[in-house]
Amino acid sequence: MCARCDISRRSLLLGGGALAASLTTGIAQARIRPADMAPLIGPHFQPTDTDEQGLWQLMERAEEEISGSNLLIKDPQLVGYLQDIIGHVGGPAAKDMRIYLAHVPDFNAMMFPSGFAVVFSGLLLRMRNEAQLAGVVAHESGHFLRRHMIRSWRDMKRKSDIFAIGAMAAGVAGAGAGVYMGDYIQLAQLATILSLFRYSREMEAEADAMGARLIAEAGYQPMEMANVWQQLIGEENASAAYRRKHRRRPDLFDTHPSEDARFADLRISAAEVTVPGRAYETGRDRYIRTIGPIREMLLEDQVKLNDPGASQYLLNTLALDGWNGLLRYYEGEVWRLRNRAGDDARAAQSYAVAVAYPDAPADAWRWHGLSLIKEGRSGEGKAALGKYLQLKPTAPDAPFIRQMIG
Amino acid sequence: MRKSGMALALVASAATSGCVQSRQYADVQFTPPQGDYRLLVMRPDVTVNSLTTGGVAQPRADWSERARANIVEALRAEQGARGGKILILAHRNELPNVSADEVADVERLNFAVAQSIALHKYSGAALPTKRGKGLEYTLGEDAVSLGRRTGYDYALFIHAEDNIASTGRTALQVLGVAGCFIGFCAPSGGSNQFAYASLVDLRTGEVVWFNVLQTGSQLPGVSFGDIRTPQGSAQMVERLLGRMRPGREVREAMERH
Amino acid sequence: MSMRKPLWALTAAAFLLGGCTSVGEGTDLGVYQLVRTKPTRVGNGSVEVIPPRAWNKQRRFFFFDSIRWVEDWTLNGPYLDGITFVSGLPSGEYLIRQRKTEERQVPKFRSDMTAPEVTAMLESAFRVRGGAVEFRTLALQPRQFMGYPGFQFDFEHLDGDELWRKGRAVGAVIDGRLYLMLYDAARSHYYANALPDFEAMANNAHIRA
Repeated sequence: MCARCDISRRSLLLGGGALAASLTTGIAQARIRPADMAPLIGPHFQPTDTDEQGLWQLMERAEEEISGSNLLIKDPQLVGYLQDIIGHVGGPAAKDMRIYLAHVPDFNAMMFPSGFAVVFSGLLLRMRNEAQLAGVVAHESGHFLRRHMIRSWRDMKRKSDIFAIGAMAAGVAGAGAGVYMGDYIQLAQLATILSLFRYSREMEAEADAMGARLIAEAGYQPMEMANVWQQLIGEENASAAYRRKHRRRPDLFDTHPSEDARFADLRISAAEVTVPGRAYETGRDRYIRTIGPIREMLLEDQVKLNDPGASQYLLNTLALDGWNGLLRYYEGEVWRLRNRAGDDARAAQSYAVAVAYPDAPADAWRWHGLSLIKEGRSGEGKAALGKYLQLKPTAPDAPFIRQMIG
Repeated sequence: MRKSGMALALVASAATSGCVQSRQYADVQFTPPQGDYRLLVMRPDVTVNSLTTGGVAQPRADWSERARANIVEALRAEQGARGGKILILAHRNELPNVSADEVADVERLNFAVAQSIALHKYSGAALPTKRGKGLEYTLGEDAVSLGRRTGYDYALFIHAEDNIASTGRTALQVLGVAGCFIGFCAPSGGSNQFAYASLVDLRTGEVVWFNVLQTGSQLPGVSFGDIRTPQGSAQMVERLLGRMRPGREVREAMERH
Repeated sequence: MSMRKPLWALTAAAFLLGGCTSVGEGTDLGVYQLVRTKPTRVGNGSVEVIPPRAWNKQRRFFFFDSIRWVEDWTLNGPYLDGITFVSGLPSGEYLIRQRKTEERQVPKFRSDMTAPEVTAMLESAFRVRGGAVEFRTLALQPRQFMGYPGFQFDFEHLDGDELWRKGRAVGAVIDGRLYLMLYDAARSHYYANALPDFEAMANNAHIRA
């Protein structure tokens, strides 16, 4: 259902059906070959079975609710861009699928049973190029094209009866963990709601294989899809390491293939779908140009969550394509918010580097100035703050900063 | 989807015992609308789930559609009998002069207000400043503006859900009841219904009346009406809206005369 | 700080305990206490305010939110409005309780923090704990608080329940400790409704000798 149905305690507790699925499919899962992945539906698919029709009707209401939500980013250029991508990698259903961009700073994307997808803004921050984004979107299209929703829905209904008693106990634990309590971040919780009918490992592997095939056919560099998973593994490790936790080991309960295995399979699949002599693009320039206007916002959303491990890893990943003022400024912000001994000096250094770039955001000058003043370099600090006000004369904190300059 | 939080929480409590109960709160000066009034019903939120043996509330769109139609009909009949003119919105974009976004904003604020009423009036987190004052919540200027531009006097928000147990579920319930004695009660109950309604006076913006209805049965095989039938829907609407009582000060004034 | 979320734990308790009889005002779990319109000590007792009308104070429970320098009040419930008092938070302490292993954390307070740093800490609290997906600074300006040079921070945020909320914080770092009053309410109607109460208290607050 979702690119990264979050690996949380919460979704595990809900997973009566998930447990059943992984028991039957086993751990040692043979890789699914992209060549074997034919779409199971054609253009303008409409359900004919009663249960599927019912599911679609329900999803129509869900889509009305989601499309009317003010948590969506509705910028026509961005949404049009996403719609174009699904139009390229959506296979036979390319023209039938809809895509919404939700303002939630997590890495996630999900496909709903009736063919609309929700992409979280945190995904756009993490993608280095268009091929990576297309890879995630193609994976989601794969779920739709292979009819995974209705298959897993039926599967779960059958299996959940067997696991009824386990599920009942899980229900109680779930209530304690907040599942029945109406969570505050409702849109972010869609993934959890959807995990009620989540996919088996086999289905995830199918979607990966199908996705690799779809992006290769559309002319995107297939290896980029594998890179997405490598980045995700790296980010989770980094985040856990900072908070002195170990990344949870893949186990029987995982419905998604373990990320490491997935990365390996995707690399093989990418090689398989690559046609020798054909040129594949990453679409990096187009990607950077399109998300450029919101990149500062995306970084702000991530960094202000004060998850230093993940943020630092993300910045380093994005910086593989070159450091700039924006990335250096946010590197400073990560240190400042982490706020351990010595972090203020690290932050100050990043701000100082950031303002040397021509694209440094105005806020880099603000924090550069504040850091200098704290270090006792009052004159230089006030000059930097002056530069900040010059770049952003209508800044909401201008009255306070002016007082500091004196 | 938006309203599932409170709904599920309240259902959980109903499921632990067998009961039909409703409890209404009204503004102290509330008089139930009568005669020539105009009522706007905001997108009725009606869901019918089938509870499978495994405890999965499987939404049944066909049942839900039927129940929604029945509830709408029952609402028309009930309000018509009071003399009111009624418009039932199915989508946010159906009002002339008012954008879908403005309707959405009223719905969003109402959701937070309804959550607050549920939390502080119904679930034990009572606010001392509001004790004994009836209902004291408002949707403020957003609601007043909606009323001014549409000419409606009241807005009614209604949520109804019916969870119908399958036969397999009924058998398993026996275990669920047993569970209660060893320390926990799974929200696993049998058929249950949960509904709430909130009436907003669009001239003042105030929530003048609020009612919560729960029916639930831990007893295998016992159910209370079925909103998939016109009779069941009429019964629910009657239980929810039919016995609207005036506010305290109005009742006291009536008793004096 | 009351970030709305923890309250659900209470609701759950109420529902699980109450069963059929839980409907109605009859059951009062004593979550809130009445605050009268007279001089009232807040937080750890080192600050006193005079509320212009009666408010509800959220009782502290040992299993969450038991930060002794922090106290929450509300008029209509935390979904709609609330004031958080911080009465001299020492350096190295947090505004809220959180596990050390939590990936996303509200930064800790340090005594050398300037107003922009304190406001960034508050912003992270709303994003990490309050589920804010958008957060806008409306204004940051100098303002005296309890006779010391401090700041006034105005902001608004869009939360996961699709509601815009608006707030104002007035605070100062005095002798290395954070003193703060933070008001946060639904932007529509509720913010304007209790802002005069907040302003009155921000102006009559004082440190007890």
